[in-house]
Amino acid sequence: MKIEIKNLKKSFNENLVLKNISLTIEKNKSTIILGQSGCGKSVLIKIIYQLFSFDSGFILYDGKSEVDIDKFSMLFQYGALFDSLKISENIAFTDFINNKTNYERKVLSLMNDVGLDKSIFNRFPSEISGGMKKRVALARALYKNPKLIFLDEPTTGLDPINSDKINELILKVIRKRKITAVTITHDIKSAIKTGDHYYFIDKGIIQDKGDCKKILKTKNKLFKSFITGASIK
Amino acid sequence: MKFIERIGEVLIKLFSNLGKFILFISFFFKYLFSPKFYFKNNLQYFLTIFISSIPIVALTGIFSGMVLALQSYTGFSRFSAESAIPNIVVLTLTRELGPVLTGLMISARVGSSIAAEIATMRVTEQIDALKTLNTNYYNYLVTPRVLSLTLALPIFVTLVDFIGVMGGYIVSVHRLGFNDNLYLLNTIDFLSLGDYLSGILKAFVFGFIISIVSCYCGLFSDKGAFGVGSATTNAVVISSILILSSNYFLTELFF
Ligand SMILES: Nc1ncnc2c1ncn2[C@@H]1O[C@H](COP(=O)(O)OP(=O)(O)O)[C@@H](O)[C@H]1O
Ligand SMILES: [Mg+2]
Repeated sequence: MKIEIKNLKKSFNENLVLKNISLTIEKNKSTIILGQSGCGKSVLIKIIYQLFSFDSGFILYDGKSEVDIDKFSMLFQYGALFDSLKISENIAFTDFINNKTNYERKVLSLMNDVGLDKSIFNRFPSEISGGMKKRVALARALYKNPKLIFLDEPTTGLDPINSDKINELILKVIRKRKITAVTITHDIKSAIKTGDHYYFIDKGIIQDKGDCKKILKTKNKLFKSFITGASIK
Repeated sequence: MKFIERIGEVLIKLFSNLGKFILFISFFFKYLFSPKFYFKNNLQYFLTIFISSIPIVALTGIFSGMVLALQSYTGFSRFSAESAIPNIVVLTLTRELGPVLTGLMISARVGSSIAAEIATMRVTEQIDALKTLNTNYYNYLVTPRVLSLTLALPIFVTLVDFIGVMGGYIVSVHRLGFNDNLYLLNTIDFLSLGDYLSGILKAFVFGFIISIVSCYCGLFSDKGAFGVGSATTNAVVISSILILSSNYFLTELFF
């Protein structure tokens, strides 16, 4: 699915978070959204997912303003797993809650796809590690065969080796299933590795955009300082 | 001028919250009658709160009944009216203390945990996740909690009434020297079905108040760990005040 966003504005009471955002999410491509903590990245993807409303501007999904959000899926920043449910019940949540019981095979095959051992099938989220939680959350997001997946900081909070593994995994999954991906990150290495196009947000607007392979050659001062971690005067 | 502005601000916030709360209640009823009803989820929640609340319900009952017998003895023995004690104990329990004390205890025990659980789910984006998984949080979270508490509280109050009368009986017979058969006979003689039912109606109302207020406080809490704390406090304080004030009006109704 192709999504076009034009002049999007969003504020919470007096807090103007997104001033004027225009960007395009290309079908079957991997779009990366970069920016400092608190700049509104999560808010932006939740608006696109229609979890939040917005003040002005417009969003077109394949040219239309209406969309069936059941085609979307999201990997939340901290997994957002349901603590009181088992791993298997989390992954197959919609079937589980509707009393369907024949989800075991589908769950096991997804767990295999995301590199989870089947021994945790009946465990609870509090009993597994952070990296495993991300994998469970990814499996849950893939359960409904989405056309487009939003990944909110999939590698934040993981050690470099686990980050790399998760990046590989995401790449493999979205290529194999031909899913359009929108990924939020502040990790430049991940962006170069997993992305096609990037957008850099600062102070509520898109400050830079381009091809992920050319991130390091950017001329934009703000984005450069974001990459190198140096503050600009 | 600043002072008046401040009052205006507070009033606006109060009324906008009141409006949001009324809207929330109407949505509860709308989704209650929607075809999506997760029966197993509802039943499971009911059993969980039911079993976990039995100990405090029993303790509330036994001690209220015991202290009622002692206190009314202090008063009534001055007029040689000790024989009214079984009457006082059972009427006070079924009409007033049973529903009110149970309501306050359950708001502390269950209401606080509802608010904390839902507020945590909000902070950790589990509420957003529900929507991405095609599940409405009214059906999945609010309905089970409100139904369970509204149905459980009358049962709890019945238990408190019963255990409370037993507490009064124990103190009266073993401490104050009442005749045991006479005590029970007086209790049953004095109690009318109307007394019991007026307490049960209060229980329904209090169960609804506790659960709907706690869900609301959890869902619309501020973000962050601070938000979880204030959601819990608000849930208990607001539902306790509503219980005490609505109790007066319900009592007027049956006066
Ligand atoms: N539900 C909300 N209510 C009010 N303010 C919010 C809400 N969600 C996010 N914000 C505010 O929006 C801003 C951007 O947040 P967010 O999108 O989470 O940042 P990030 O880029 O780190 O993902 C922050 O200032 C945050 O306080
Ligand atoms: Mg974020």
